[in-house]
Amino acid sequence: MILNSEQESFRASVSSFLAAKLPISALRALRDKPVATAYDRDLWGELAVLGASSITVPAASGGAEFGWLALGAVAQELGRRLSPTPLLSSVVLAQGALIQCASPEQVARYLPALLNGDEVWAVAFEEQTHFLPDCLQTAMTPLGLCGSKGMVLDGAAADRLLVTALDGSGQWGLLLVDPDTPGITLRASRLMDGRQYVAFEFSEVSELACEWVAGPASEGAWARVLNQAMAVLAAEMLGSARELCERTIEYLKEREQFDVKIGSFQALQHRAAHMYSELELSQAAVDAALIAFDTQGSDQCAMASAAKALANECFQLISDEAVQMHGGMGVTDALDIGLFLKRSRVCNQLLGDTHWHHLRYADRSGF
Amino acid sequence: MEDSDSLIAFREEVKAWLRASCPLSQRRPIVQKEQIWAGRQRHFHSEDARRWFEAARDRGFTAPEWPVRYGGAGLSVTEASILREEMQALGCRPPLYDQGLWMLGPALLVFGTEAQKQQHLPAICRGEIRWAQGYSEPNAGSDLANLQMKAEDDGDFFRVHGSKIWTTKADEADWIFCLVRTDDSGPKQQGISFLLIDLATPGVSVSPIPLISGESDFCQTFFDDVLVPKANLVGELNGGWAVAKEVLRHERQLMSSFESMAEKPKVNVVELATQHIKRQGDGAISNLDIRVCLARHLMRDRAVKQLGARIEQQGRARCGDPRLPLLMKYLSTREIQQKNEIKLKILGYRGLSLSAPDDPESCDSIVKQWAFDKALTIAGGTSEIQLNIIAKRGLGLPLGSSSE
Repeated sequence: MILNSEQESFRASVSSFLAAKLPISALRALRDKPVATAYDRDLWGELAVLGASSITVPAASGGAEFGWLALGAVAQELGRRLSPTPLLSSVVLAQGALIQCASPEQVARYLPALLNGDEVWAVAFEEQTHFLPDCLQTAMTPLGLCGSKGMVLDGAAADRLLVTALDGSGQWGLLLVDPDTPGITLRASRLMDGRQYVAFEFSEVSELACEWVAGPASEGAWARVLNQAMAVLAAEMLGSARELCERTIEYLKEREQFDVKIGSFQALQHRAAHMYSELELSQAAVDAALIAFDTQGSDQCAMASAAKALANECFQLISDEAVQMHGGMGVTDALDIGLFLKRSRVCNQLLGDTHWHHLRYADRSGF
Repeated sequence: MEDSDSLIAFREEVKAWLRASCPLSQRRPIVQKEQIWAGRQRHFHSEDARRWFEAARDRGFTAPEWPVRYGGAGLSVTEASILREEMQALGCRPPLYDQGLWMLGPALLVFGTEAQKQQHLPAICRGEIRWAQGYSEPNAGSDLANLQMKAEDDGDFFRVHGSKIWTTKADEADWIFCLVRTDDSGPKQQGISFLLIDLATPGVSVSPIPLISGESDFCQTFFDDVLVPKANLVGELNGGWAVAKEVLRHERQLMSSFESMAEKPKVNVVELATQHIKRQGDGAISNLDIRVCLARHLMRDRAVKQLGARIEQQGRARCGDPRLPLLMKYLSTREIQQKNEIKLKILGYRGLSLSAPDDPESCDSIVKQWAFDKALTIAGGTSEIQLNIIAKRGLGLPLGSSSE
């Protein structure tokens, strides 16, 4: 990706912050903590001060206005170190939904605390075993909000929760609710990538405790937020894939068997070259999607799907090859390779698996 | 990236010139038999084609980046890419097709003597001579340096014997640029020279090779005691390998942009799918395998083009990653073949015949293309050779027993 000099110096400052404060060892430390901890909240506060919470927010609303390409670059830096932060859950999804779906009064009321890192939010929108955003059963009934949600990213660390739900007339809407409200129960899990994912039950949660932030008129805006999240996640995945590709190629240059570097074997050279080709091909698709957001280009659904589908396949390929080429060491927990492998499979499912994106792309292309 | 003021002015001027100089018929998608190929046998399919070619030639736009004194337009890299963008925007056809233009010329600019440049470059720009490429031999394919065609010292001349294979359209070409063996005492790569040979010289004969597509786009060219003036040696004696690599670099770039210069199919692959496969109520085609394969191919094909655009943009911003151009031939040729395979799947029983290749409406032309494009991952350096190059030059992996 080609960043302008402002974007590049911003990326570099985030990168050196992450190298110092959130290296891969931070993820290892997080794995051993109680599941209630989703990420280091203090470090997120510092990142927010650096500008990580406001990259795409217009200057008029107190943001940095660096654009989606810069946000992608930051996601890529996170991916390189598998750094746990609420960038996707709170910034791209929750804050994105607030800004793009809610009323100006609500944005003015809630945005400042998100921008300065005082608050973090999460969005509950998954109800099935796979990503199926159109399948919505959670509803505001006469008795209150009823339904269940799963796979809420960083959901137990959120100060407030946005929930997709049907309103009294069965129309799409988005609710804001305090997770401590009576009637809400949650079960947090740490999945194999070390991150926190939460299942919520809503049983007759009083409507008085909920605030509608969006109605059916904003459903398209919410779809746009999901597209943005897909591309940002894809950028993060490619950051991980790039790190893994580089580490593996370095290993091929160091490791000796049969008295030669194993990187001199053509079978491995071709697989390494193929891996790298797939990486740059996928990067082009991801960058194009981010640029389409920045330029308000057409076809954002298809571009986001292409970005996520290519990132899924690319990260899966490179993580499999990285394990295989590292040999026995590749399956030990001593090396970081396995952390990337496990992250790849979680990311594959988040925001649409490859098949889902292929079908949506076909849909958008008229066949 | 924003254009500077002078580039904005250049873009405007070029746009106006193209509108004035390129007839509307030359802005329609290119059709194979209307391509303007260089050479003594050159012919124009229409008066408009002649006008467009002559206008481009007189402006130096057949070779925009070559110096004006050799018949080019002397454009900078950025100006040339602006010209390409504006030609694309208007849909202008390439004004001239020739391997001399695409491959030999750029190498002559680097390695040719002044006399060679003056003799050949203007003739190339003016489309007067059509060039063929003589690299591979029956026993020198991927192992190109193993070539055996000999050029022996004979006073002011070389005496050449041997043969070249896969010489594209050599039966219609006027000259050929060849790699020849001038020394076989040392390492294979070191005894090779780069020689220009007029195909009208006595002793040269050309024989087309029937291909699996039923066509004969490639030839074998035989040299039986052919006398070639020593002035036709390009670069140092026994130093032809460096010239050859420069030519190959341009050939690979060309092959990655092949699609934009070739005839567009009458029906694109999506239309083919929606026309030939039953559709469900929501418009989705009913064959899920084809639906998924096609979506995946379209995404990847689009990404190949996005990668190409990124390389071009980085080149203009002078912050190019030198590894990226190495990937393009490998990635793009594979997607073209993938598309052809999907077309065959779509056609089913209708995609199994090669009997009426002249009818552009028939499915046979799709099958012919499928068969012909099998050569794309072989010609110009096989995909395996591309992977060798990516591994060694791109990723810095150590040399093994294999070579480029």
